[in-house]
Amino acid sequence: MAPQSPGTDQIDTLLWIGFVACAIVVLAVNAGLIYALWRYRGSRGEQARPTGAGRRAQLRAGGLLGLFAAALFVVSVLYTGEARKTPATGEAGLASARSEPLRILATGQQWLWRYDYPNSAFSYYRLVVPVDTTVELDLVSTDVIHTWDVPALAGKRDAVPGKTGRVVFRAEEEGVYEGQSATLSGQAYAAMRTAVEVVSPTEYEEFVARQKDDIQAAQDRVVEQIESGETP
Amino acid sequence: MSQVRDRPEIVVDGYPRRRPRWMEIATSADHKDVGRVLIAASLGFLFVALVELLLMRLQLAIPENTFLSPVTFNRMLSLYGATAIFFFAVPLALGFFYYLAPLQAGARGTALPRLGQIGLWLYVAGATVLFAGFLYTPSEAGVNPLAPLSELTYLPDNGVDAWAAATGLATLGFTMLAIDLVATLHRLRAPGMAWRRLPVFSWAAGICSWLLLAIGPVMLAAIAMLLIDRNFGGIFFAGGAEGAPLLWAHLSWIFFSGAYMLILIFALAALAEIVPVFARRPLAGRNAVIGSLAAIAPLGTLAWMQNMLTAPIGIGWMYFAMAMSLALIVPFGLILFNLIATMIGGTLHLRAPLLFAAGAVAAISVGLAAEIEHSMVAVAWRLQHTTDSTAATHFALVGGSVFGGFAALHYWFPKMTGRTMGETLARISFWTTALGTVLAFVPLFLAGGLEGQVVDAYKYFEGSGVDAYNLVASIGAFVLAIGIVLTLVNAILSRTAGARAGHDQWGGDTLEWFVPSPPEPHNFDVLPDVRSERPMRDIREAIARSAERPAREAQPVA
Repeated sequence: MAPQSPGTDQIDTLLWIGFVACAIVVLAVNAGLIYALWRYRGSRGEQARPTGAGRRAQLRAGGLLGLFAAALFVVSVLYTGEARKTPATGEAGLASARSEPLRILATGQQWLWRYDYPNSAFSYYRLVVPVDTTVELDLVSTDVIHTWDVPALAGKRDAVPGKTGRVVFRAEEEGVYEGQSATLSGQAYAAMRTAVEVVSPTEYEEFVARQKDDIQAAQDRVVEQIESGETP
Repeated sequence: MSQVRDRPEIVVDGYPRRRPRWMEIATSADHKDVGRVLIAASLGFLFVALVELLLMRLQLAIPENTFLSPVTFNRMLSLYGATAIFFFAVPLALGFFYYLAPLQAGARGTALPRLGQIGLWLYVAGATVLFAGFLYTPSEAGVNPLAPLSELTYLPDNGVDAWAAATGLATLGFTMLAIDLVATLHRLRAPGMAWRRLPVFSWAAGICSWLLLAIGPVMLAAIAMLLIDRNFGGIFFAGGAEGAPLLWAHLSWIFFSGAYMLILIFALAALAEIVPVFARRPLAGRNAVIGSLAAIAPLGTLAWMQNMLTAPIGIGWMYFAMAMSLALIVPFGLILFNLIATMIGGTLHLRAPLLFAAGAVAAISVGLAAEIEHSMVAVAWRLQHTTDSTAATHFALVGGSVFGGFAALHYWFPKMTGRTMGETLARISFWTTALGTVLAFVPLFLAGGLEGQVVDAYKYFEGSGVDAYNLVASIGAFVLAIGIVLTLVNAILSRTAGARAGHDQWGGDTLEWFVPSPPEPHNFDVLPDVRSERPMRDIREAIARSAERPAREAQPVA
């Protein structure tokens, strides 16, 4: 699950900063605890000393903890700000997405993801995007809350009915990235998966054109069947 | 035979029971009876929650398992969440508070005993409704039944209604108990029991009761709206332009975050009573600990949006949630610091209560450290909704309500029953539970953090790299269950077969150790005049002075 988008780079770095902070907390507490239990067992026959840790020690400990919390807050805001930035489409990306990102509508429904491309083509389950191109997914839902989660490309976001969520990413390398839904949405929730296929801009153009033609052909065939009296 | 006439006419000891014992307890409004039933019932539901957890872990032991159908899995998941939170963890804390706070404050009873009794029976009614759901269909909507999945359109059978009625009744009951506790602590403290002398655990009882008065009505409002939506054509949480699905998320997370804090406040306050007694020295930084407990309640509740960092809410709100969550580092850190500072330099008597207390500190430290990471906004976009967050919550809450709850159980069991819990079984139970906790939840950190395994899913797919983690977690869940069941068995056996306990089993400093074990219905024959925050030590010293010999458990002067 190596990061494949500028946003996920930031998330990954902050994750490891957070991990170090967690490790410090866990080690400090448990080292103190084990030391106390091992060193001051009653069987060692020592008399209890008067309790220390007066007002000054409390203020110092509290101040130290406050500084730790404030530092984590500042670092988190900085990295989150970076991760939220909309990256620009690169040289190898789709030419039409240079000025503004390629906008795709992602609709969560029990239990499938549907993707609507700008040329009114659409696809289910598989999202095809051009490499090195800024893609903006508008997340909506037709029924319950779903969470769109492709960890290699972006942080996860919810599709809430009546609201629009937003995910921005720029895939660095071609390939297929697996994802899944991450909020319980009913019976087939575990099977509600998705995949993002990152291809070259020309392949992307070909895909959406072909998809549009196929959909149009299928619709024409249905109309034809109805008009000729066949039941589709 | 003529001596018979010389007997005193008023016999206080052995007052005849009018009705069978169970009926006396069932109809009693005495806070000790209510508290005992709450504790016993919640430990029973701990067992039920374990069964539900084990069924889910069996399903998740191997990839693409078909042991449970998706619907059955979702039902187990929903029942597990309700059982663990509403019928085990919160009532366990309230049971201890309700039993002990009046004793510690030097009250002969509670201020509004009927309210507490109603609270208990509303809770029992809630449990009955939840499990009566088996007669038709339990809820399938998950631990927190997020709208609109919990709306009639998507789950048309009665499961969600049963869930809402059950948790609503229980929440109403908790609120009643909280009202009684607030009234008692504010009005019925013994002469001289100023707030500054009130024991830490009673402070926690007051803080948690006020917290429940704030969050209980919020949950009740949300549940009422959900029931209106489902039964009377309401559209509060409906999707689309007219409803607001996120409103349920906001209201329910306010309650769940508050309840999370309530459980941790209970556990840490119990540890703050237990650690000094078994370290043979007063609590370090008593005022700082009380202040920290009081700060956790509002800060932790205001951090409710920490659970919604992937939802479409403004980035400012996300930073607000993060600020509240990270601010919790200070009070939680100060309490853990003072607990350990009390141990360092003491004379530690490593009996079962202290052992479980140490386990609680270790587990809570891991859970809360992980919560730090989950509140860092960008990291939450990666880690939330993965098993990493399951593991964090379970480390903190198992640390709080299982390890902390068992520490409290072993510590106060002699007071409540007059008998001590078996030490050997307690030690075996502790080490098994500790091993089980690590095995059951550390793999979930790794599966969620490294591989992104999502929560609440009834299966995972082969080749997703999480097979080994899940198998170990399933084995660990069984080890954890064995450890917990050993303590439950220990408690049942010790009720009748445990070693007899004196009125002051451990040499405690608080007033519950002044009265017999178990206490008389009226708690105190004589209310002691409280002159310090350690009234039992004062009483021991006064007795020693009058007998002109050293006290049995002489304590160093603070």
